[in-house]
This record gives sequence, structure tokens and C-alpha cells, in this order.
Amino acid sequence: MLAIDGLTKRFGEKVAVDRVSLEIPAGSFVGVIGRSGAGKSTLLRMINRLAEPTSGRVSFAGVDVTALRGAALRRWRRDAAMIFQQFNLVGRLDVMTNVLLGRLDHATPARAMLGLWSDEDRALALSALDLFDMAALAAQRTETLSGGQQQRVAIARALVQEPRLVLADEPIASLDPRNTRLVMDGLQRMNRDYGITVICNLHALDVARAYCDRLVGMRAGRVVFDAAPEELTESLARDLYGLEAGEALGEVASPDDAGAPAVSAPVAA
Amino acid sequence: MTNRSPHAGDLDPVTARTRFPRSFPSPLRSHGAAMAIFLSLSGVLAWGYSIVGVSPMRFMEGIGKLGSIALLMLPPDTGDWAKFLTYLYALAETVAIALLGTLAAAIVAFPVALLASRNVLANRVVHFASRRILDCVRGVDELIWALVWINVVGLGPFAGVLAIATANAGIFGKLFSEAIEASGRGPVEGVLSTGGNDGHAVRYGLLPQVVPVLLSQVLYYFESNTRSATIIGIVGAGGIGLHISEQIRMLEYQHVSAIILMILVAVALIDRLSSGLRLAIVGTRAAGRA
Repeated sequence: MLAIDGLTKRFGEKVAVDRVSLEIPAGSFVGVIGRSGAGKSTLLRMINRLAEPTSGRVSFAGVDVTALRGAALRRWRRDAAMIFQQFNLVGRLDVMTNVLLGRLDHATPARAMLGLWSDEDRALALSALDLFDMAALAAQRTETLSGGQQQRVAIARALVQEPRLVLADEPIASLDPRNTRLVMDGLQRMNRDYGITVICNLHALDVARAYCDRLVGMRAGRVVFDAAPEELTESLARDLYGLEAGEALGEVASPDDAGAPAVSAPVAA
Repeated sequence: MTNRSPHAGDLDPVTARTRFPRSFPSPLRSHGAAMAIFLSLSGVLAWGYSIVGVSPMRFMEGIGKLGSIALLMLPPDTGDWAKFLTYLYALAETVAIALLGTLAAAIVAFPVALLASRNVLANRVVHFASRRILDCVRGVDELIWALVWINVVGLGPFAGVLAIATANAGIFGKLFSEAIEASGRGPVEGVLSTGGNDGHAVRYGLLPQVVPVLLSQVLYYFESNTRSATIIGIVGAGGIGLHISEQIRMLEYQHVSAIILMILVAVALIDRLSSGLRLAIVGTRAAGRA
């Protein structure tokens, strides 16, 4: 079980995450929702320790994660795999190497440094890629792939980490509908087939409702909603998202949305 | 006839000037300032000419000598094959000095550049110290480093290699750290998030992004250092430079012109080679995607 207790992050005067406490049982699929800037990313990054909390603690299976250092911290990061909105792959390296980076903490440091991956690691990476129909692209330079393909590579990288927890930070925010489904199905498969706990920041509410078995709503750094998706009523959702409600609830884009054609907006003569 | 637009109010120039005098230039004052600047700059220029002894007369007298030297240089000739081979060997030594010096500079500069990059090392003191050290090393020219190293390791190409290496380490340190600071954070974060250590983050997250840029910079400086290496030979740090200064002193102008031609050919060849390599290294990133 992942236990978050009074977790707070301040950037100067601004409080990004404000005394968040959550208990997440193993095997859950939790969606963290809320408008941009609500502190969702910072919360996830603090769990993986890419960001240091100002106060509060995170513990996993009884171990205080916030106190880990050195090799123990790297071991924790390998257990808590991260998936990013911008994929955070190494564009100039091939797909295979990017997936193998998920094995860095499994290999000895020297072998990892020299790229001397074992045949077992290679086979594991290929089978993870194959789960997402990407094995044929293993030798391709990663930056030549589409966004959806890159996110699938990132999921394969997370999978070969053999994590106990997957933290996905807006994994579908820059993807088209088809890739959104492929990526979310991938996360679901990790959750169902391997029993990996998934915590996923999401902006689109319909996706969150379709995949998560629990929703955590954040506003201004605080948890303001924490229940099953069915309990999130339309008015609660509007309250949570404020001005971004239309976009998050999948309604017709408002005319001031950049790039979206204003289909029905009256044009002042 | 007035130029006033009906849409922009009805302030006429005279009232405007009296109400908002600071929005109009005062003609006398601005002309006065321009004149003063022009006169003082001309004064500085004239003073500078007199200090370095610029004299059109001496130039006109000497220009004839330049012509006769040029005539003496023709045709370029090294006398015999033995001499030609001596020069060729010295030229190869010059290229070797440039190559080894540039490589040594790059090898020394890379770790220092990591220390001097804000996004690799957050420590302010190390950052500041390494930057200032690079500034100092870079502030001294190769020729001066050559004179210093000759006193340390004696005359010869080894001093030349050290001179090129020192001066360029300062330049590379700055260029490398700028390239490193311009690199993206995403890949580094991706490597760290999987449980990689800082070494892995540099090796897999940072290096693939910056190595093509660094290699292209190193190749460019190899070209430029081939030219510098001919100069440092003159003070005795090995290579072709020594032969040039010797032949000039012995008034063997045909030898001088032959050596200059050889240098030109060598530099042109290296130029072609290195720009081809640079294109091959950097050109492959054309498929860049955001």
C-alpha cells in the first residue's frame, strides 16, 4: 500500500501541493484529476522523488520513501516507474536502448554504463515492445516516431523496470484519440495482468471515468474529491475544473480555445 | 495646407512643442553632441595612428619592396627533393600538433564543462570557480602558452601540443558548457526516473543530445588550430613555422612561397575533410521532432 501523509511542496511563496494525505491500496487504478496547475504533476513527481517534498512523507509497504538516499532511492525509482506527458525518451537513441534504460538499475552500474545489456534484458525489452506492436521498430531512432508510438515505447520502458507502481503524468495529453486508447489500454493491461498499482494524472474526465476505479480531485494543491468515478456528479466536476470545465468534460470547444474552429460562435459584423 | 489628420486630435506642432517640449529634439543640442562625439573619435584615431607610427610615406616607399619580394618568390621552389621532404615532414608535424592538441583540449575540457554547467551541477561555488578558471585559461593566446611551455618541456612539438591544448581547453570548456546548458531536461529526467544514477543520466540522457554539437565544434577548431600551429612553430614549438622564419631570415623567398603553398593545400584538405565530417554528424538530426 502506498501511504501519502501530509505531503506539501512549496515553490517560494507558492504552495503547489498542500498537505495531501492519501492511502492507495496495491492493485488500484487511481486517476488524479483537476485543472492545470492544481498540483497533480508535483504530487506524482514527489512520489517518485524527482521532486523533493517540503514536508510530509510518502511510504510504500511500510518503508519511508521520502527518507531514501543513494542506491535505495534508485531502487525505489525503479519500483515506481514514471510515464511523462512529453515521454522523456532519448530522441537520438534507438527504441531498443530507450526501453533498456528501464533495466539500468537491474544491471551492474559498469555494464549499464557501457551498454552491455544481457541477452535476457534484450529479450525482455523486445517482448515488452511486442506487447504494444512496437518490436519491429526496435532499431529505429526514437525521435522519428510519432507521439503515440513514443508513448508506447515509454510504457514498454516502464514495464521492463518491473515496477510495483506506475506514475503516469498526463500520459495522453498530447495524443490523438486512437493513441489515447492504445496508451490507456496499455496502462490498464499493466494494472490488470501484472497487478501493478497505477496512479494517472488526467485532464480528460471521460477517460478518467472509463479507466479508473477511484478518482482523486485536486484544486489549488489540495485534495477536494476522493471517491469512485460514479460519485463525481456533473456539478462537482464543473466546480473542480472551473473555467476549464468545458474542455475537460469533452464539450464543444469554446471560441477562445486556440486552434479550435469556432463552429457555432456568432461572428460580430 | 495642414497635414493634420481629422482622427488624431487637433494639436498643432507649435502648441504641441510648448506643451510637451521633451518629446521634441532640441536641434542645437543634439547637433552639438554629435559634433563633439565625431571630433573626439577622430582625435582618438589620429592619436592612435601617431602612436603606432602610421605613415603614408613609408607605406608608399615600402610597397615597391613588397612587389620585389613577390617577384623573388616566383617560382615557388624548394631547391631539391630532400628539402621538400623535410618541409613535408614538418608540415605533418604541424598537423599532428593541431590534432593532438585539439583532442587533448577536448578531453580535458569535457569534465570541466560538466562542472561549469548549471543544469548538471547545482553547486554555485564549483560553478563559479570552474567558469572563472576557464575564462583565465582562454584569455591567454596560444603563442604565449607556447612560450610558457617551451620553458617547461623544452623546444619542440611537445610544447606545441601543450600550447594548443591549454588555449583550446579554455575555449572548449566554455563552448561545451553552453551546449550542455542548452540541452533538454526531459531525457535526463527520464533516465533518473527509471532508477539510473547520475553517471547514467549523463551517459544516456545528456551525451546523446550534446555529442554531435561538441564533435562539430572540435572539428571546426581542428581546422583553425592547423593554422595556429604554423605560427607557434616560429617560436620553436615544433612544426613548419620554424622553417618559414628561417627561410625568411635567409632571404630564400622561393622556399618561403613553396612552404606557404604547402600549408594552403594542407589547410584546404583538412577544411574539406572536416566540413564533410561535420555535415555527416550534425546532418543526421534533420528528422528532428518536437
